[in-house]
Amino acid sequence: MNSSISVSEFGSDNKRRVAKVKEFLDKNGLDMSSDVEVFVTIKDEDEMIACGGLAGKVLKCIAVDSSRRGQGLILKVVTHLLNAAFTRGTKELFLFSTPKNIKFFEDCGFRLIEECDGEVILMENSKNLAKYQAELSSLKKDGDVIGSIVMNANPFTLGHSYLIEEASKRSDWLHLFVVKEDASEFKFADRIRLIREGIKHLKNVTVHEGSDYIISKATFPTYFIKDKGQVNEIHAKLDLNVFRNQLAPYLGITHRFVGTEPYCKVTNNYNQNMKKILADPNGKSAPIEVVEIERIEFADQAISASRVRKLLNEKNYDELKNIVPPTTFEFLMKEII
Amino acid sequence: MKIINSAHAGTLESSDIYIQINPFKEDKIELELESSVEELYGDAIKELIIKTLEDMNVSFVHVKAQDKGAMDLVIKARLQAAVLRACESDPVWEEL
Repeated sequence: MNSSISVSEFGSDNKRRVAKVKEFLDKNGLDMSSDVEVFVTIKDEDEMIACGGLAGKVLKCIAVDSSRRGQGLILKVVTHLLNAAFTRGTKELFLFSTPKNIKFFEDCGFRLIEECDGEVILMENSKNLAKYQAELSSLKKDGDVIGSIVMNANPFTLGHSYLIEEASKRSDWLHLFVVKEDASEFKFADRIRLIREGIKHLKNVTVHEGSDYIISKATFPTYFIKDKGQVNEIHAKLDLNVFRNQLAPYLGITHRFVGTEPYCKVTNNYNQNMKKILADPNGKSAPIEVVEIERIEFADQAISASRVRKLLNEKNYDELKNIVPPTTFEFLMKEII
Repeated sequence: MKIINSAHAGTLESSDIYIQINPFKEDKIELELESSVEELYGDAIKELIIKTLEDMNVSFVHVKAQDKGAMDLVIKARLQAAVLRACESDPVWEEL
């Protein structure tokens, strides 16, 4: 190995160096990701020859200059990224990359979770997926129609409650997953509690805490930055492939229910991809039927969590009261005091 | 020696080994090894890791090792470095 090679680590606040990384990624056909907190770069003299980034518990933006491949530089990058993560107390990691790198990362202790469209891979260095799958298996219920819903419920509205009731009616058993990532306006603990209180009367529903494998910063990072309009279709597809191939089979899920989405482009796009990917008759695992349920309306406008947040902002509590269950309303009123 | 913190040593590069040490709730050595030469030397590497830890009087420990064909003295040195980083007490150099 050449002695002029140097490795450095810096934070995303170093705009000048981040710009250089972006340039390097561009040259290598990769996108910069706005959630990266720590970058690692390798230089030969003054020229960047490899880089990588750490975003929470996800390693991404890993690239090696095309003329320098085959020298094990990727191992150097991953070593430094692991050190950066461990130093910050993060041991269980995910990794985003492209399928041609699977072998390299396997040699770094990562296992493939899912590959999507030959474009992107998600890997992890723990055995948490297998543990989670075993946990799901133990919660499996028998029936012809095993429904599923994934929701953020930010916060829980009458729209959510209608969707769950409809899905519950049409299913022998319904598995309801609540997005666990604490990246939304309302905390996970509050979101799931309001759901539980709101659907107490339904007897065929299991409420699951979400996980790193369902709409998380690992499977679907752009979901949490959608307000900035950064939609990445490949992330949506990856998330859906993980759901279909890695989770649904362990619960025997046959259907997924989802509300129609009139406002949010990201969510609507996700719904369309859902039909394509989950229901595709050719796949690694059994297809899942996607059922879109028309949203209920109040005063000619669909009820949605984003509308609730808007009304909260406008302090329009009278109208708000009409579109959330009493439990949510009570909670919101306590919150604002 | 008592493992107090998590620590790591080594690299993922060829002929080296990357070792992570974590405190473990049971009085044992919990070892996870992946090696590029596992079929030939897997058992020997495990034996070496366990012997090194026992010599250092370390238990209640979880060790995760990613080996790239490191030689015995490298494995031992990386492991000792990681253990010393994970303990807050000073090493007894004569015994290493």
